Amino acid sequence: MAKKPRYQNRIELLQGTLDMLIMRTLQWGPQHGYGISRAIRTGSDEVLTVETGSLYPALHRLEKQGWIAAEWKLTENSQRAKFYRLTPAGRKHLVHEQSRWEEFVKAVSGVMKPAEEKS
Amino acid sequence: MKFHLPFKRRRERERELDEELRAHLAMAVRERIEQGEDPAEAEANARREFGNVPLVKEVTRDQWGWRWLETLLQDLRYGLRQLRRNPGFTIVAVLTLALGIGATTAVFSLLDAVLLRPLPYSHPEQLFRLYPTDRSGRHTMEATSYPDFHDWEDQSRTFESMAAYYDQDFNFTGADQPERLRGLCSTPGLLALLGVHPRLGRAFSPSDGRHVALLSYRLWQRRFAGDPSVLGKLIHLDGWDYTVMGVLPQRFYFPPQEFEGELTAEVFVPAVPNLDRSWNYVRAIGRLAPGVTAQQARTEMGGIAARLAHVYPDVDHGQRVAFGRLDRVAISGTHETAWMLFVAVAFVLLIACANVANLLLARDAAREHEFAVRRIVGATRSRLMRQLLTECVLLAILGGASGVVFANWMLPLVTYLAPQNTMLYTRIHDVGVHLNGSVFLFCAFLVVLSAMLFGVLPTWRATSAEHSCGSTPHIGRIRGPLIGLEVALSIVLLTGAGLMMRSLIRLRNVDVGFRTSRLLTLDVSLPAKRYDSAEKQATFFRRVLGSFGSLPSVLSAAAVTNLPLTRTSTWKTFDIPGTHARQGKAEYNAVSPDYFRTMGISLLSGREIMNSDSAHTPLICVISWRMAQEYWPNRNPVGESIIAKHALVMPTARGTSRQFKPQQLEIVGVVGDVRQLGLDTPPEPETYVPYSQWPSEEMSLVLRTKSEPSSLIPTVEKVIWSVDLDQPITSVRTMDQWVSREAASRRFVLQLIGVFALIAIALAVVGLYGVVSYWTRQRTHEVGIRMALGAEKRDVLRMVVEQGLKLSLIGVVIGVAGAFALTRFLSSLLYGVTPTDLLTFVAVSLILIAVALVACYIPARRAAKVDPMVALRYE
Repeated sequence: MAKKPRYQNRIELLQGTLDMLIMRTLQWGPQHGYGISRAIRTGSDEVLTVETGSLYPALHRLEKQGWIAAEWKLTENSQRAKFYRLTPAGRKHLVHEQSRWEEFVKAVSGVMKPAEEKS
Repeated sequence: MKFHLPFKRRRERERELDEELRAHLAMAVRERIEQGEDPAEAEANARREFGNVPLVKEVTRDQWGWRWLETLLQDLRYGLRQLRRNPGFTIVAVLTLALGIGATTAVFSLLDAVLLRPLPYSHPEQLFRLYPTDRSGRHTMEATSYPDFHDWEDQSRTFESMAAYYDQDFNFTGADQPERLRGLCSTPGLLALLGVHPRLGRAFSPSDGRHVALLSYRLWQRRFAGDPSVLGKLIHLDGWDYTVMGVLPQRFYFPPQEFEGELTAEVFVPAVPNLDRSWNYVRAIGRLAPGVTAQQARTEMGGIAARLAHVYPDVDHGQRVAFGRLDRVAISGTHETAWMLFVAVAFVLLIACANVANLLLARDAAREHEFAVRRIVGATRSRLMRQLLTECVLLAILGGASGVVFANWMLPLVTYLAPQNTMLYTRIHDVGVHLNGSVFLFCAFLVVLSAMLFGVLPTWRATSAEHSCGSTPHIGRIRGPLIGLEVALSIVLLTGAGLMMRSLIRLRNVDVGFRTSRLLTLDVSLPAKRYDSAEKQATFFRRVLGSFGSLPSVLSAAAVTNLPLTRTSTWKTFDIPGTHARQGKAEYNAVSPDYFRTMGISLLSGREIMNSDSAHTPLICVISWRMAQEYWPNRNPVGESIIAKHALVMPTARGTSRQFKPQQLEIVGVVGDVRQLGLDTPPEPETYVPYSQWPSEEMSLVLRTKSEPSSLIPTVEKVIWSVDLDQPITSVRTMDQWVSREAASRRFVLQLIGVFALIAIALAVVGLYGVVSYWTRQRTHEVGIRMALGAEKRDVLRMVVEQGLKLSLIGVVIGVAGAFALTRFLSSLLYGVTPTDLLTFVAVSLILIAVALVACYIPARRAAKVDPMVALRYE
């Protein structure tokens, strides 16, 4: 069978992190898919680019889980777009995720530090 | 295709997603333009950055849940569209499947009715028939003696209960026309043993005496219009009064197997015990006690039989007891036929599936481009497979639905063709053949099975990676073997049909020993009460035969105890006195003087039985050629004599008893052999004695008529009723009807297998034609070049035909091998041919090769007609 890389694999790779990034972006206010991807890209100094094939499944998944809600609105350029906003449940979840992320980063850097000193 | 309410929301979401992604793209393009990109460039870059739109949609939709249903509906919609777009393909495929599934469903419902429906008794699996064996202990006999049965019943603990029964026909007289009824005499416990309660009234008990009766539901409906007040009324059987005790349930029948042509006995009366231990006349049936295994019962019955053999060495020596589960006994002889038909029809289904697979392969070749595109835009192989298999299931469902219609239409035909007077017929008409729940379930199973059978191969091939980019297809590699398989299966079926046909022709041409045309036959049984002396019986038959003889359209008329070809015969042992003393055994028939002349049986030496042979003249007999050959080889037996025992049945206080009186008979003539038992049974030694010297109350009458015999039936009835108004007549048939009944079972099997074989060949030919046409189309270019280089039309023809023929030949070889292995399962139905009959095998192979030649020749000729210039430009 084809050895073609599949989008689903990338979603799985990024899963928790991408969800967190999306919700973090939405903390500043409702945003549409394109806006979210742009915010993540500029926020990370162009390091992180979010593929549409990962972004939209993630948005729809978060919406299904009730952490974000969607609404059709016009952009400042009068473009009709689907705006996502954080729900109270999503807000709580984001706090939880953020503390877990910080623990994770601390743990990883704890492991990585000694190696850095040796070199 | 539109789906309503629950899917409306879904369509909205679909539209929203669409718009959401379009908005995304639009914003990306706008931003790029704002950053100074050229609009066209911005659009292209935004698209590139976005990626594969349909794929993004698909993975997003995946998050919605109910994905599988969505996919299924999508596939169904797509599949339906595909089927509609290709009506020719769809119609041919659906019709092919309808034939296969329909025929299989029809045969299955037959099987269901005949074999799978349980007997109408409670826990029939606990019921066993018990058979005594002969003295050698090897051959089982149907009936045992009443005293032996009584001892079994008395001593057995492994059987909860036992009952004995025998059949006896009764003349039912009274208000309307007299009627001959199938009766069953049983010990009182039979119904309790079967676990059956009468619908009306009660079963008889030992205290009821002998003259009580239970009626079958049908008899109750027919003669008493279902009147419940029949209970307690008197009915007349053989001139005796019987009190009606009850009516049996509608679905009840008994005995389960032994009555040929009748569903059930119509009247049930108490058995009359006969205390002669050497007279085997009752059939024993038993129900195992709870928790007892058949093996335990066998051990116990072995002990009982050994004890009886010890106490009564002169009659029971060496005798054992054998068992047969009642439900198995009931279908013996029928289930082989039914399973064979099922295998035959399964072949048809396989061929149908192979054909549809072939069609699919050809169609998918045309859709290769579509598959390639879908793969390139990101459809995974499993997704494509799922979709193609959905199409196959859709096709199979359509085929199955049409198949049910087809089966429903075929069933009455099958029921109609079923040979009368056979178990198959009885069961079909008793339980009825219907498309019931289990048949529908089976049909659904067939739908899935066939979808897998015909769908997997083409689907696997169509989605295999190597040619998804449009590489050259090697369809022939798969289609060739499929055609070979079809040809092989057709050969097996055709061989079966051929063997059956040869058997039937052989049977048709059998010399039965008499002229069967223009013979009318009927049975008369005089009730013992009114005809209590040989004198009275003889007078009745003399008067009736005299009246028959004076009818202008009757050439001659005669009476005989056992009519030939009716599967009945009476065997008697005899002794040959004098120097060559030995014991012999022969069929025995009492006949009236004109019998040989009426039947057209030739007199070979000596004289016939004459009117002058009477109760007051010396006892004589006429013997058959075979008997003369066997016991007086190379000698004329006329003038010799035999000693036969004449059984006198005497009524006694406790039933009846027999007395034997040895009598010396002089052989006065030798006549030609007659097939007594049936067309397929060779003649046996036979003695004929004058009716006047050996009277009997049961006789068959035969009339040789000048015109079509069945036109005489009303006249014949009138004559008999003018002699005795209360005398019923049974089995009024022409001898030709008896003859055709003889071949009926085989004809039924031949008709069905023949139809299956024809369908099989038709399908195989269509398949072969399709493949060869496909090849020639693929090779138009090559043909063009060959012709441009100087090949003759003949060469092209030969090339194409050769290739098709090669396939068929491989199929023929495999098929012949398969038939060689399988036809022996037909052997019980064959007559006069061996299962490996060379002529049939050769003929069948030749027929198939000839048909295959035609199927290849037509596309080959088309190929040869190709204009080389057109063919070359074709590329």
